[in-house]
Amino acid sequence: MATAILDTSALLTGIPAGAWVAISEKLNKVLAWGADPQEVLVEARGKGEDSPLITRVPDRQSMAMFF
Amino acid sequence: MPEISFPYRHIKVPPSAAHPDGQTLRNPKTVATLTASNGKTLRVFVLLDTGADACCFPLTYALLLGIDVLSLPTEMTGGIGSMANVTYYDTVQIDLGRGVAFTAKVAFMEGMNMHAMGLLGQDGFFSNFDVHFSHKSSTFTIMTP
Repeated sequence: MATAILDTSALLTGIPAGAWVAISEKLNKVLAWGADPQEVLVEARGKGEDSPLITRVPDRQSMAMFF
Repeated sequence: MPEISFPYRHIKVPPSAAHPDGQTLRNPKTVATLTASNGKTLRVFVLLDTGADACCFPLTYALLLGIDVLSLPTEMTGGIGSMANVTYYDTVQIDLGRGVAFTAKVAFMEGMNMHAMGLLGQDGFFSNFDVHFSHKSSTFTIMTP
């Protein structure tokens, strides 16, 4: 059974919309962020995180989606 | 048949004219590890999307996986609000953890970059797994073969 709601929105508070973000494997810490996703991953891995999650801070205009 | 449940992702959206009190979006979204044929991996968010014909990802993810996109076969595809999107295809492994993993021919497109997540669609994902969605309990359950 699922054990928890996955909600990382609080983690991204204060980071500009559109920025790429690397998040720790446990999804509880931002390791790096910036405009270049490759640089963000390199910085995160440099902090000892082998498998950071890469995502992007959504713009207000793209938070609700209709695929 | 084993059943594996995953939590929905909740996203708080600030107030707008249409939703003065703001919104909490509840999506069947989880984390997946992509593995390219070169062995490189990338952890990303994925949304289970029954309306997507195939699994698709931001083109940036192909580049981060070290895939030579210019060597990939392409075709034009369409989506909500867009048409004639150049779409690159490659085969990757997708692992949701807890024993849910599969290999699929996936689409990479630039228009997905702004969303920074993948879509798990009909060909590759729903063709391999039956899934039960429960918005009320904020979980989705994958029946593994």
